[in-house]
Amino acid sequence: MKVGIKAIEGNSSLRFNKTDIDNLVEKIGSQLGAVDEVIDWGERYEGVVIVRVISCVKHENADNLNVCLVDDGGIAKNVERNPEGYVQVVCGAPNVREGILVAWIPPGVSVPNTFGSEDVFVIGAKELRGVMSNGMLASPSELYLSDDHSGLLEFDEDINGTTPKPGDYFAKAIGMDEIIIDIENKMFTHRPDCFGILGVAREISGIMGKAFESPSWYLETPSFEKIQKLPLSVSVETPGLVPRFMAVVMDNVQMADSPLWMQAQLRRIGIRSINNVVDVTNYVMYITGQPLHAYDYDKVAKLSSKGAEIIVRHPRANEKLQLLNGKTIVPRTDAVVIASSNESIGLGGVMGGGTTEVDKNTTRIIIEVASFDMYNIRKTSMHHGLFTDAVTRFSKGQSVHQNDRVLSYAIAQMMIFANGTLASSVVDVKNDLKPNPKIILTPEFVNERLGIDLGIDAMEKLLGNVEFIVSKDKGQLHVTAPFWRTDIAMKEDVVEEIGRLHGFDKLPLTLPEKSILPTIPNSMLNIKSTIRDSLCRFGANEILSYSFVHGALMQQVGQDPTKAFSLSNALSPNLQYYRLTLTPSLLEKIHSNAKAGYDEFAIFELGKGHSLENSDDGSGVPEEFEKLAFVYSAQTKAVSKNSGEAYFKASYFLQALLTNLRINYALEAVKNTEAPFDPKRSATILEKKTGQVIGTIGEYTLKTLKGLKLSKLTAGFELDLQVLLKHAQQNVNYEVLSKYPKISQDISLKVTGATTYQMIASVIDETVASINQDTKTQTTVQPLDIFMNEEGDKHTTFRLIFSSLQRTLTTEEVSGFLDRIDEQLTKKLGAIRI
Amino acid sequence: MSYTIKDIAVAAEELKKQFETLEDKKAIRRSPTFRELFSKIKTAEPDKRAQFGAEVNKLKNEVEAWLSELESDNDDRAPIDVTAPFPTNSNPTTRFSLLPTQKGSIHPLMKELETVLGIFARMGFATIESREIDDDYHMFGALNFPEGHPARDDYDTFMTTQKDKKGKQFIAPAHTSTMQNRVLRQFASNLVNDEPIAVVIPGRVFRNEDLDARHEHTFYQLEGVYVGKAVTAGNLIATLKVFLQEYYQQELEVKTQPFYFPFTEPSFEFALSCPFCKKQGCNVCSQTGWIELLGCGMIHPNVLKEAGIDPTIYTGFAWGGGIDRLVMMKYDIEDIRHFESGKLEFLRQFS
Repeated sequence: MKVGIKAIEGNSSLRFNKTDIDNLVEKIGSQLGAVDEVIDWGERYEGVVIVRVISCVKHENADNLNVCLVDDGGIAKNVERNPEGYVQVVCGAPNVREGILVAWIPPGVSVPNTFGSEDVFVIGAKELRGVMSNGMLASPSELYLSDDHSGLLEFDEDINGTTPKPGDYFAKAIGMDEIIIDIENKMFTHRPDCFGILGVAREISGIMGKAFESPSWYLETPSFEKIQKLPLSVSVETPGLVPRFMAVVMDNVQMADSPLWMQAQLRRIGIRSINNVVDVTNYVMYITGQPLHAYDYDKVAKLSSKGAEIIVRHPRANEKLQLLNGKTIVPRTDAVVIASSNESIGLGGVMGGGTTEVDKNTTRIIIEVASFDMYNIRKTSMHHGLFTDAVTRFSKGQSVHQNDRVLSYAIAQMMIFANGTLASSVVDVKNDLKPNPKIILTPEFVNERLGIDLGIDAMEKLLGNVEFIVSKDKGQLHVTAPFWRTDIAMKEDVVEEIGRLHGFDKLPLTLPEKSILPTIPNSMLNIKSTIRDSLCRFGANEILSYSFVHGALMQQVGQDPTKAFSLSNALSPNLQYYRLTLTPSLLEKIHSNAKAGYDEFAIFELGKGHSLENSDDGSGVPEEFEKLAFVYSAQTKAVSKNSGEAYFKASYFLQALLTNLRINYALEAVKNTEAPFDPKRSATILEKKTGQVIGTIGEYTLKTLKGLKLSKLTAGFELDLQVLLKHAQQNVNYEVLSKYPKISQDISLKVTGATTYQMIASVIDETVASINQDTKTQTTVQPLDIFMNEEGDKHTTFRLIFSSLQRTLTTEEVSGFLDRIDEQLTKKLGAIRI
Repeated sequence: MSYTIKDIAVAAEELKKQFETLEDKKAIRRSPTFRELFSKIKTAEPDKRAQFGAEVNKLKNEVEAWLSELESDNDDRAPIDVTAPFPTNSNPTTRFSLLPTQKGSIHPLMKELETVLGIFARMGFATIESREIDDDYHMFGALNFPEGHPARDDYDTFMTTQKDKKGKQFIAPAHTSTMQNRVLRQFASNLVNDEPIAVVIPGRVFRNEDLDARHEHTFYQLEGVYVGKAVTAGNLIATLKVFLQEYYQQELEVKTQPFYFPFTEPSFEFALSCPFCKKQGCNVCSQTGWIELLGCGMIHPNVLKEAGIDPTIYTGFAWGGGIDRLVMMKYDIEDIRHFESGKLEFLRQFS
């Protein structure tokens, strides 16, 4: 909302010096809403002067140019003058002639419509076809008033009661020496009244601690004349979306440009001047925050079966509507259109229609002051991409109690600026208009919530300053918000109002008091933190990637998108599905990093997966699976030849991580690991004791590798954090240190190629466990080597380190242990000790 | 697969035969059988044409499936024993090796979040993580958003095609406030024991917003709620100020600007004096000396009521702010998109 200082002054008893502005801006920021920027319009017009054309003769060498002498009252410095003190300017405008008052841009002054742009154009003194021209005479376009550059802007009238004279500064003469404070619109989401000057001026009075008095035309309920000259009928078929619709007909309207000061005022707030009728509707909107619309009565009547008929309704199927901006739309089904009996003539509350636009031949108009459902307006605006000043205001929900006052004021302005006369009674179609409620509260209620100590009288004054109706009764405040406020419904709203008007920055800052009871820890966050630290220590890099993935990525890695939640309004197909698991997102990040020159790296992410198969966690919302995904990838050239498959690299990370988390696990080959893991090259990770599935480790399917351009040396794992959390042990299983020497012996076994390591290891583990138990021995088992010969036989070597807790073991005893192990392996797996 | 159009069924048989005999299997894509089929699309009866086209496509996909099946059969990767601790015939010196520690890194957002949560933990706040998918009730209804409120339409908020039991679309939360109701309910017993509810809620949030250097559709927020007896707006500002001074390890000035949120009343935008230039004006604060950091306010009585807390006895405050912004300011990061890029070039700077 752009607010001019003069406009505030003109609508309140407030007066400001230029030096007050910084203070005011700060105060607005802390008590009304954030200020976007402060624009000094005077700067744009610095040096532009009003002059009288003293003489005007044809240029000898150019048909379209005139040589003028102008009188600037001697105000411009450093400019060439004739003996009489006049300045010579060459001008090509068709309307230049002796005697007129115009705006002159002297040499050295920048052209206002280039001010602030990338190429500011500074006028000079130069010869035009051999004749010296000092500066230029300006058109409305060059003066940044309108797009009109067909001729000079002429001052042939009073401007707000005074006649400009040569030597007056242009900006001052038309009120452009104004400072505009642009307050962010989002601050006023709930304050429709602050989209009008009256509302903002009132608030500023309030925060300055001064009582504001609305003009009487705004406070008093107007009465309208009963006139039946030109027939007008209004019917509202969508009362739920249009709580009030007022309209009136005016006759004898004389179309013209609006007065310069009004054009200038609209310009400063970013509204283009069109003609007096349209400008008056916009001007009244600027004062009150209530959008209005003017129709050409005769055009509406021509499209009606009898008189002028206005029907407010939803659009008919495929109905077309030509808008003021020249575009034709098919309004969305739920939009509200304004229609005549024949066709729709406006998109209600958003934009008027082209077929009933007022133009230079208009003599009769209909003025509409209506109210529309704010959410419906927004939806229509978004749907059609139409963002108008009316939408900005209607989408905040203007008070339905001000329509009559606004209409009355608009009629008066039309009479002044377009010479109109009333030609119909006012039509007022309204629903039940509820008044604001009376709210009763104690000063303590307010003070307790703000942490201050204001008296009841101080509160009464703060609220009274912005025209709340307040009375005191038995120590309580009885508060009714004025009719233009739509945001005061309960006690807390009054607290807000008092706090803001008093100044939130004045609140004493005291910390809340709390006992020293410890807060509950969040074990999931803690385990994530441990995982992060561990993997970082292992040289891996934590990444974050989007929770949404492309359906094509899912298919590429073998996942089924129909199992995933999907967005109905995704920004792009890249972000259409909630990811089932994190691994695909990580795999997608591998190639670009490899290409960027990272030959060997590992990345991981802690995040969530969702699936349609688990669409209810018991409380009605989808289950969220906390996951850890890890991927290692290397270019073949980057690793030594005998280091083996990537699977094992991932496995080293898994082992290190789960050791850190003190989780005992086993790897199990299964037939159906989930995509993108390759079932032939992956394993399920099980918690050893319970057999609960922790996750999957492995290499990926060839299709995945190909599709995502991954090196064959890529592998990783994805774990379920809930299961990890369940089994992660806080305590170390400490073993007493043996006082006796350790004896170590190796055992090598030959098995068939089909015998897995796990099969051998579990036989050894079982046997060792029983040895330990029988003989009070501690045993460590270390795999040393796995070797496969050309015949396909596998040789596996283990080192076993024994120590007794009771005595020194003899070599014979240890050999006996190995024999027990050998015996079991031979029996169960046909292993041959070598 | 079966085809309803006879020409295509015949062609499928034909292609299968060709595929079995072909030396270079990929040549099947160029088979004249395909060419004939394509030319038949044009001459098919107009009302059958669409179906004809669809079935030709289906056949093409089937042939592609044969090819990719063949490729996986062609897996030349040596079989592995997935239960082994290291590879067969491997060099012992390469076993169990990880990557150099100094190359490892924690994501800067996560690192910062841990720092921030650490401060709040010291201040007595418990931590509950937010959700990435939620229902309309928690995201809007429980937070006093009226029906029809703009945030409830899909111009601002991502929604799923799937619906909850009430027939409303699930939502990708646009703010961590989606957890307020749950947290208030979870900790309501505190109030009974005369202990305030003090919780911070970190989480990933989503906005239907086009990407650029300053805007992400996915980012991290931290929500805070504090409810107890006689909790005031002054408490709110003081709490945030104390946190920020601890975070930035310096004295700061703070200020509020009135704002509007449906779930707080009064609502504020909260700004702090720029900790990077001591209010002298710098690039971080756009030369203003102030940084607008978060939104906050006194929890709306309807929100408390909805969580079963009596707003005539208890009051509270809540706030929410972005973590991404804190990190961007701290390191002067120029593009928010780096965070979710997975670029090692970016991530390893935080090793």
